[in-house]
Amino acid sequence: MRHVLVLISLAVFPLAAQNGDLEKGRQLFLGMCSRCHGAEGGGGEGPNLNRPVLSRAPDDQALTAVIRDGIPDRGMPRIRRFTDTELHAMVVYVRSLSRTAGAVVAGSPEKGKAVYQRSGCSSCHIIDGEGGNLGPELSGVGAHRAADYLRQAIVEPAAALPRGVMPFPGRGLNEFLPVRVVTRGGQEVTGIRVNEDSFTIQVKDANNQLHSFRKTDLQTLEKETGKSLMPDLRTTISGTDLDDLVAYLSSLGVVK
Amino acid sequence: MRTLRLHALAVFAAVSGGFAQVPYQRIVGADGNPNTWVTYSGNYQAQRFSQLAQIHRRNVAQLKPAWVYQMRNPGIVETSPIVADGIMYITEPPSTATALDLHTGRPLWTYTPNIPQDVIIIGSPPVNRGVAILDNTVFYGTVHCHLIALDAKSGIVRWDTVVDDNKKGYYITAAPLAIDGKIIIGVSGAETGIRGFVDAYDAKTGKRLWRTWTVPGPGEPGSESWGGQSWQHGGGSTWVTGSYDPDLHLVYWGTGNPAPDWNDDTRPGDNLYTCSLLAMDPETGKIKWHFQFTPHDVHDWDATEVPILFDAEVKGRRRKVVSMANRNGFYYVLDRQTGEFLTAAPYVKQTWADGLDAKGRPFPRREADPKVEGTLVYPAIAGGANWWSPSYSPRTGLFYQATREMAGVYFKGDADYKEGTAYAGGGGETKNGDEAYGAVRAFEATSGKLRWEFKLLTPPLTGLLSTAGGLVFGGAEEGNFYALDAETGKALWDLQLGGAVRSPPVSFTIDGKQQVAVTAGTSLFVFGLP
Repeated sequence: MRHVLVLISLAVFPLAAQNGDLEKGRQLFLGMCSRCHGAEGGGGEGPNLNRPVLSRAPDDQALTAVIRDGIPDRGMPRIRRFTDTELHAMVVYVRSLSRTAGAVVAGSPEKGKAVYQRSGCSSCHIIDGEGGNLGPELSGVGAHRAADYLRQAIVEPAAALPRGVMPFPGRGLNEFLPVRVVTRGGQEVTGIRVNEDSFTIQVKDANNQLHSFRKTDLQTLEKETGKSLMPDLRTTISGTDLDDLVAYLSSLGVVK
Repeated sequence: MRTLRLHALAVFAAVSGGFAQVPYQRIVGADGNPNTWVTYSGNYQAQRFSQLAQIHRRNVAQLKPAWVYQMRNPGIVETSPIVADGIMYITEPPSTATALDLHTGRPLWTYTPNIPQDVIIIGSPPVNRGVAILDNTVFYGTVHCHLIALDAKSGIVRWDTVVDDNKKGYYITAAPLAIDGKIIIGVSGAETGIRGFVDAYDAKTGKRLWRTWTVPGPGEPGSESWGGQSWQHGGGSTWVTGSYDPDLHLVYWGTGNPAPDWNDDTRPGDNLYTCSLLAMDPETGKIKWHFQFTPHDVHDWDATEVPILFDAEVKGRRRKVVSMANRNGFYYVLDRQTGEFLTAAPYVKQTWADGLDAKGRPFPRREADPKVEGTLVYPAIAGGANWWSPSYSPRTGLFYQATREMAGVYFKGDADYKEGTAYAGGGGETKNGDEAYGAVRAFEATSGKLRWEFKLLTPPLTGLLSTAGGLVFGGAEEGNFYALDAETGKALWDLQLGGAVRSPPVSFTIDGKQQVAVTAGTSLFVFGLP
């Protein structure tokens, strides 16, 4: 009797079963993935999933592996163990997101490139090997950050300070964290934290000089959480220039 | 000089040929011979305290490496070395035992069993916490769940016993505890839905003498605390070495989480004896008393922290007590004769319980239970403390513990039992970041009241060692190894070792000079005064 019922339900309700997986997958995604990938997969600190091809997950087998194991060296943690049923439901849901049209990024990448060049961004950022090294590299940034996140990083950089992945300065610690130190001898250094442990800290200043301190030699060590060394560009880049710049950065590393 | 050494060897050979190397009485009297380190936590009381005082507050800054041993396999090293009669015995990940010459660190022998390619290790990395020694034999457990006895001088197998079936998820990471003629061992595997136990084996033959299930079967006391058939896969692993009171003749051993960890739908009730401390008769394994720290756990609050034994005045009279900084964030003191709850205090931020009642039972906040969408709870999944050894100094009366201040998000998930696969029912995500931190904390051992703390950049996984020289040695995830003043917590010396310190330090002598050993990354370092 039970066998008959199963056969009937499979024959008549395949769509219902699929919808059940979809809903289960959506719930799991909301709990564990949406903080970085956005509620509907629109992306954020993590990549936008509303695209036909996911570079790390070209097929369901690869997507299953990514969800199961994470991509720790890119900042995607292995959050927890999943049953096969849960993995399947999440794959079904993430695949449904890829069929959703992604948010359209207004603006022109070509014009954005010109905005990038004339605004001095390259004094601190490297794209394809060119530029200064005080800030994060932006080669390929469009493949792993969503447009909204990039926009925020431009107009409110301190709110989009990247969290570190293994190994330096440590998993989850803020990268490019501004610090101010004053030694017992009175020397003051401001810059970004390159690395730190319980006894020492390594700081790079705006002139690209590296400083290494023992904490016992400091009278002041201020970690300026909530700040960024990057200037707030909302007054200098706005309107269509901003749209164009976001469009340019979003295009970097994205396979058409 | 050469002649002298040869003489020494000849005498040594004569002695080792005729006498047991580490007889039981020598482990009982470990405090009286601090030149060696003959059991996991240094003595049966599990205090991880060295009576040596040659290295002290005023000279510790001169510490220098004596030698370094680099392990051959990648992996996480959690071994606590055993040192006896000129040899250091360690384990290397995942299941290799190695003997090192204590003067030089040169390997004397090494043994690696055949581990099947499809070995099942779910719930932790493939680690090992060390060997036990008794008479002329060393003992250790493996990830394929064997208990192996090796001749201490040659590394040749004396016996190799299957403790239980790895296909069901049983594996071993704990160091065994050697007592009079018996080897006591616990198992890992609650995330695979094992039914946990503590076993004792005959040290000479490897024959099992008794098994005490940590999850009672139908009709046994405590079985009413499980719903339906949930006891069959109820967890309660026993993956950290316990302690022993030779006078009371009781073995103390902590038990782990119920299974599935984060999905409690199938296991209504207290789920005895998970998340508990068991006091067992070593002759029979009979449970003399139990204390359950976290009834009906849903956060993975294993009680597999090291239980430390000491005698002190608590609640108006001098008592024999056992204490534990539990993974759940509370420090407990129990009467170790009776199991009576004496006192407890939170030692890290915790948000899962509204305190404890007069008998030490928590008032859990049900809103802190794991949910599909996640629930933010302090402490994070590794707990306020965990398997890494605390230390108790009889000199200061302080209990030293490496603690973690961090939140976690707890997820409830599906739990379908299938032999040899994960049966965890969810999981946890740790909130890494600049907000999380760690600290070495010193509590008054009788109350849990904080005396001092030394902050660490990130939550640690390091064991601690306190010494009669007034020092506390510990490590950090970023590779620092350091010595603190045991009275004040002030850092007196530190060195960057280049890899995470995840094993507990030990102390002993080489040619009468005190040394301290610890691992960092996959290397083992021995430090002494120049």
